[in-house]
Amino acid sequence: MNETTASPATRVLGLVTAAGFAALLAFALVLSPADQVQGELVRIMYVHVPTALVAFVAFGVTVAASVGYLVRRTEWWDLVAHASAEIGAVLLAATLVTGMLWGRPTWGVYWTWDARLTTTALLFVLALGYLAVRRLPVERERRTRLAAVVGLLFGPTGVVVRYATEWWNTLHQKSTITTLDPKIDGLMLFTLMLGFAVFALLYVWLMIHRFRVLFLEHRVEDLALDEAIAERRAEAASASASASATGARPPVGAAS
Amino acid sequence: MDVTPRLADADADPDADGRTSARGGRRRGGRGLLSVGIVVLLLGAAGFLLVKQLGDATVYYRNADAAVRDKAELGDRRFRIQGTFVGSKRDVGNAVAFTIAFNGVKVPILHTGSEPAMFRPGIPVVAEGRWSADGTTFLSDRIDVKHSETYRAKNPGRVGNAP
Repeated sequence: MNETTASPATRVLGLVTAAGFAALLAFALVLSPADQVQGELVRIMYVHVPTALVAFVAFGVTVAASVGYLVRRTEWWDLVAHASAEIGAVLLAATLVTGMLWGRPTWGVYWTWDARLTTTALLFVLALGYLAVRRLPVERERRTRLAAVVGLLFGPTGVVVRYATEWWNTLHQKSTITTLDPKIDGLMLFTLMLGFAVFALLYVWLMIHRFRVLFLEHRVEDLALDEAIAERRAEAASASASASATGARPPVGAAS
Repeated sequence: MDVTPRLADADADPDADGRTSARGGRRRGGRGLLSVGIVVLLLGAAGFLLVKQLGDATVYYRNADAAVRDKAELGDRRFRIQGTFVGSKRDVGNAVAFTIAFNGVKVPILHTGSEPAMFRPGIPVVAEGRWSADGTTFLSDRIDVKHSETYRAKNPGRVGNAP
């Protein structure tokens, strides 16, 4: 019996991802140069920016899958939306933590309420709220429908976070890699791109596993439901049987 | 339909359906209340962020030229000013005096308090404080370094001129 959510494909993907992280560590910590202004602090960027970008992709997938669910109403879309939001929340938490660790020595403060940071905090709270909705103890179909609607909110929120540095004056710097001539050293750019690739691989690997675990969670939930219904039927049957007899206590659930 | 597993109800009267489902309902109500509480708490946090913070956040700072242009309107209100630290700094008592520039407009700053580690000429900074009574100087008590979106190698020679 297969007692893992792994398959040959995910094992290979996992190994490639691990190798990618080893390469990223080498480039981020050793091979890439220190920055002219920030010195060694620039190295935080190789985690901060990729986790942020992949978190955005993850929430984008949740939006698309929520639309998919609302149109098709199939479990597949629901599981994709749920799994992607969970991974997005974890990646966004990593973005916030690394950002604060960089902010203190660079800006002088861990946190400040500029537009980029405030909207990112909002996105994080939305992600936690979405995951809370996913655990509401109501009928699965109602919970799923509600989650799909809440999941759509990641769309506009994400857009505001992304363009906060363009629309308003923020302490957070603007995007670097949007022009054909990015204002970044070549090897730094390469390391950053490697970071994107490695965190994207991690996302795909986690998605496959999380999807499978959520699928199994649903099956367990269904099983408990079937069992409860069977118990109820047995109970009703024995109750009517004992009502015609002399009032002996029927053993509840004995027939299931 | 109440489909709560009946494990705890083994001793219940067989005809006490109303009671057992009420109990099941109460148990679910407790969990539901907690979940609703968490959702309300998170919504509250989101509302707080939106109303309290986003209002300030959209005008996080004014560039030096805009701060000079709007001097009359700003009066002695507290705000943040942004510009690049030009020239050098000098001590004035327990304060430090320096100049920032943005878009060709220079503003003298008199800063009291700590300076961030990266505070040095050529770096864009955001200073928090107000215009002096005569409007000639910006009196600041907090400086944040605003890092630009440019990243350059410290010792370009060390790694060669990578593409």
